Amino acid sequence: MKVEVKNLRKEFGKTVAVDNISFSFDSGHVFGFVGPNGAGKTTTMRIISTIEEPTSGDVLLNGISVCEEPELARRAVGYVPDTLPAHADITVHEYLDFYARAYGLRGKKRTQAVEAIEEFTNVAGIREKHLKALSKGMKQRVSLGRALVYDPDVLVLDEPAAGLDPRARVELRELLMLLAERKKAILISSHILTELTEICNGVVIIERGKILETGTIEDVLKKSAPRRTVAIRLLDTQNAALLKELLQTPFVENARDVANEIHFELNGDESAACDILGGLIAKKFKVIEFRQTKANLEDIFMNVTKGGVQ
Amino acid sequence: MNISDIKNHFTNWREWELNPIVIKELRQGVRSWTVTGMLLLFLVVLFIASLGFLVTESFDINPNMQLGGSMFSAFTVILAGASIFFIPLYTAVRVAAERQENNPDLLYVTTLSPARIIRGKFLCSAYIALLFFSACMPFMAFTNLLRGVDLPTVFFILAYLFLVVCAANMIAIFVACIPASRPFKVLFALGGFFASFWIVIPLVEISWELMRSGVGAMMSGRDFWIGVLTAAAIGLAATGLFFVLSVALVSPPSANRALPVRIYLTVIWLLGGLLNFGWVAQTGDAERMNIWTFSTFAVMMFALLVTISNSDQISQRVRRTIPAARVKRFFAFFFFNGAAGGLLWTGGILIATYFASQTVMLFLPTAAYPSILSMQGQIWFATTAAYAFAYALTALFIHRNFLSRRPPKLAGLLAVLLAAAWAIAPSVVLFFLNQLSWKSVEGLQLGNIFNVASLRDDDQRLYHLYFAFGWLLVMIVINAKWFFRQANNFRPPPVAPPVLK
Repeated sequence: MKVEVKNLRKEFGKTVAVDNISFSFDSGHVFGFVGPNGAGKTTTMRIISTIEEPTSGDVLLNGISVCEEPELARRAVGYVPDTLPAHADITVHEYLDFYARAYGLRGKKRTQAVEAIEEFTNVAGIREKHLKALSKGMKQRVSLGRALVYDPDVLVLDEPAAGLDPRARVELRELLMLLAERKKAILISSHILTELTEICNGVVIIERGKILETGTIEDVLKKSAPRRTVAIRLLDTQNAALLKELLQTPFVENARDVANEIHFELNGDESAACDILGGLIAKKFKVIEFRQTKANLEDIFMNVTKGGVQ
Repeated sequence: MNISDIKNHFTNWREWELNPIVIKELRQGVRSWTVTGMLLLFLVVLFIASLGFLVTESFDINPNMQLGGSMFSAFTVILAGASIFFIPLYTAVRVAAERQENNPDLLYVTTLSPARIIRGKFLCSAYIALLFFSACMPFMAFTNLLRGVDLPTVFFILAYLFLVVCAANMIAIFVACIPASRPFKVLFALGGFFASFWIVIPLVEISWELMRSGVGAMMSGRDFWIGVLTAAAIGLAATGLFFVLSVALVSPPSANRALPVRIYLTVIWLLGGLLNFGWVAQTGDAERMNIWTFSTFAVMMFALLVTISNSDQISQRVRRTIPAARVKRFFAFFFFNGAAGGLLWTGGILIATYFASQTVMLFLPTAAYPSILSMQGQIWFATTAAYAFAYALTALFIHRNFLSRRPPKLAGLLAVLLAAAWAIAPSVVLFFLNQLSWKSVEGLQLGNIFNVASLRDDDQRLYHLYFAFGWLLVMIVINAKWFFRQANNFRPPPVAPPVLK
């Protein structure tokens, strides 16, 4: 399943929520959708899920347009909204059973699908509980179960980790990794960027409706932060001498003392890092830690976005 | 769906399942305190009413006592009140909550077809109504033992009340589906609440009348059944209309929303015309043709407003269903999405209605034709229709040339505003000149669509007629280029779409 977002634009009156964005992702990929509040993430996700109509542009799911054939496209997309299910007077099991019926699952197949999803999302123990009585984490699981009950190829998750406790987050992350292994194409928006770095293959960074960066995590990291930062910790307190030494060393830039460690930017490749380490040891510096700190998604996000909203 | 699909459907009857919406809604309904509470309250009221009647009337013994009739009347009021006020309101609130403007419920993005969703909502409301009627039925049947009402009357009134409640539910679903903001929906709900009084009062009066006459005695008469079947057919047609309208409202914008509505209205228009003609032929009273003529006129005026609110852009999906054959394409143009085709369809129906009425009058020369769709009536029909089209085309022209970036539904609103503004403007001017009087309101105001009906001097209607047709002609000429462009663009795309595997 290939999901292609093509020149998507959505206007609400005079506000341009999504401004001509394009990106694509495939089965087995988890794509992070990152941006400040009001950047246009939810609008884009709602368009992919056929809830909203774009002003122009389109989203193709294996060539099927979500604008022209929403009913067909719907079969392929499972959407987990940021608002959790709050239907009154309905139990978890009835809720999942309804969506299984709504997506055309019948008889034994439906019963099996609902039971499997209840097991998979770990809600089997609360299946007779009313939706309104559930905690946020449990509602999130039910919402995910609802989106998965008809086994869609594409999963669109809008802020699924928001408001979840650490354990629930870890469990959600594990569920998503399992789903990626099952060849689902997943688009996930979240403000918890460290988690996205761990589970995403690709990322789209969006602000004020426009894409700032897109590509695989590695590409984006390479593109946005080409220099590595190296941290050195010494056994004794010779930081001043080390700092002086480093300032005279080739490939080293912007050396500084940070919390009893020396940090510098390495303007070279990994062999340059080896040479620097070798040189320091030869000069009798007692190095107990020499590590490269990679820029993460959070750093890139802070670098490329300006925090603008519409 | 082809014949083999239908055959398979019936062969696999064991796999038939209830509409998922019905199951969900009923599950929610039986768990809901609103429904159970209302039902309990309803039963308590029925019980207290029965007890009150039995206790108080027991002291007043006379040989011709008809306690059953009095109790039945009271039960009818309670049942009609509870079911007409509560069930449509409950249904509408549930649908409206799901159809919130900015956050529609996810059930609307499942693979359930819009028709199935609306049918499910309707069936569920009918089941809830059935629950209330079932609760009331033993009380009503019991009144038969106390004299004053026969069993056929009891069941007949229950059946007809039930059908009215179902129709009211369908209207409630339609109102809830209208894409309006919450304040508007609250206003609609309040309007519906007050409108319910206009339904309940005549309903109760008809029930009492039926009770007094006794349905059992009337059932052998042919006229009774003609009246009943006609009322049922009209009710069914109206319910069907609100059903197709609701389906159109919940369908995706890329769907051919106009097609089922226009086909339905055309079929109902034809059947209604035939039924009306049969009635006229039987009674020899040509005046009855007006029911069809003026109902068609009223419906087509609404249809005209909706039609001009259609987008000029036909979605790829609709375009793919445009027939390639020229003749089929010509007919499809009338029924598919689009303002141009819709104008033709509306105009065609109105012209056909006008001439069909005239033909009926000619075929029935013995009927009191001159006093019915009299010359003035004909002029009123033609003038008002011409004005309506002139305003519609003017609004389309303004929207296309000056407000093209705004949504197409603005054209419909603009037509209403133009007509309203021109109707008010002369009175406002006269007011400031201190010359506003009833006489001035009833005087000639060319361009004022409402003035056609309020003119004091009938002869002046001809001026309206000439003016309206002159204006319409100008607007047709101005819009001709757009119209032909629309007609020319109405053709299928050359490439076949991809298919989801």
